[in-house]
Amino acid sequence: MICSDAFKATADAMAGVQGAPGYRYLTTPHPVAGLTPEQVRERAEAVAAQVAELLAQ
Amino acid sequence: MTTPDGNVAREATTPDPDLAREAIEYCYEHDWTDGLPVVPASEALLEQFLDTTARSPDEVLWRMDHLDRECTVRTAAINAAMAGCLPEYFPIVLSAWDAVMRDRAAKGGGWQSTSGPAPLIVINGPIRSELGINSTGGIFAAGFRPNATIPRALGLMLRNAFGVVPHVFDQTTQGIPGRWAICFGENEEESPWEPLATETGLEPGTNAVSATLTRTYEFVDNRHTQDPEQLLNDFADTLSRTGSLIFRGQSAGVVFCPEHAQMLAGAGMSKSDVKDWFIEHVGRTEADLRRAGKDGVAEGGPGARSASADERAPADTFTPYFTAHKDIPIIVAGARNAAISMVFRVFGEWSNTSVEIEPAPVPATAKGG
Repeated sequence: MICSDAFKATADAMAGVQGAPGYRYLTTPHPVAGLTPEQVRERAEAVAAQVAELLAQ
Repeated sequence: MTTPDGNVAREATTPDPDLAREAIEYCYEHDWTDGLPVVPASEALLEQFLDTTARSPDEVLWRMDHLDRECTVRTAAINAAMAGCLPEYFPIVLSAWDAVMRDRAAKGGGWQSTSGPAPLIVINGPIRSELGINSTGGIFAAGFRPNATIPRALGLMLRNAFGVVPHVFDQTTQGIPGRWAICFGENEEESPWEPLATETGLEPGTNAVSATLTRTYEFVDNRHTQDPEQLLNDFADTLSRTGSLIFRGQSAGVVFCPEHAQMLAGAGMSKSDVKDWFIEHVGRTEADLRRAGKDGVAEGGPGARSASADERAPADTFTPYFTAHKDIPIIVAGARNAAISMVFRVFGEWSNTSVEIEPAPVPATAKGG
């Protein structure tokens, strides 16, 4: 799971109520909503290596 | 006990204020409040609330699966009592909750939205006068117990039953002033049109609640013209502003003051005619949308937020905001002392329905008498 870093508190709390406290997820800098498609691609490239690392665990 | 005018009440029946404060502080310590003091709810008081409804205390009003929390009739009653409701308001609280939850956005996580949407609760029927529900001067202001405490009950239910608290599951960015305080009766007596609950299909004279989640409130003050077309254009300007646009699908309503409603009705316009006029005239040109970086909205579809470097359509292309009558709820409320109305923005989708308020069950001792 990837969310923008402004939602960390909610994401951590959701992990708790879903029975997975401490669930590991990734963040990307906030904001995301106004990004152009090119900027979204750059964000994806920036986080891709971490996604692979997380999935391999 | 000291009284608000600076005196001291010394009657033998005066309740002990220190004892009351102790109980209020206990509620604060347990994080059960919205910041204002709550009424500590005893089991005896809870029973009085539960006696006003035929619904089982264990009935689940709503369940939020993703939070693994639910609210029962009993929990709702406790929070209504804490909000300062009288027991006789409780059937309205239950109906108000049901009415809000007919809103698609409320079912879809709207309560936790960054918008921090406020429930708008409108009451029709004779129960308004029976319970002292304000429908005239100051409907958006303070001063009336049912108007203030019924919406507050919903806020406390969200907080205490579902655990939606600020900075965690409540992700509100700024929110709406008076988020838990928007509840009033329709001014049926001075409205030239059929009551909202009648328009949505209930029998005239039915006690009913209509509700939805809302985002913004902005007044339209027009004491300047007697021309209904000019008046409607003034409303259209506020309804058409670009700042409230997120997606193509829009829904916004008007709480008309009696004077504005009567002027329009006097010109021969029904509520339906007013909605038709808004459907035709509310919207913006491509140039306006583009100036605000919102030309992507005109293409519609979820997520259509991005501005474009290229011109998408000719500058004078008009994008209407509304497509159907259900996009434009119209209510008449407030005093007849000035021509000031309120435009409000629906957060998601108004259900265009009303929920009947169920009368309290007849006590066993009174049956057959």
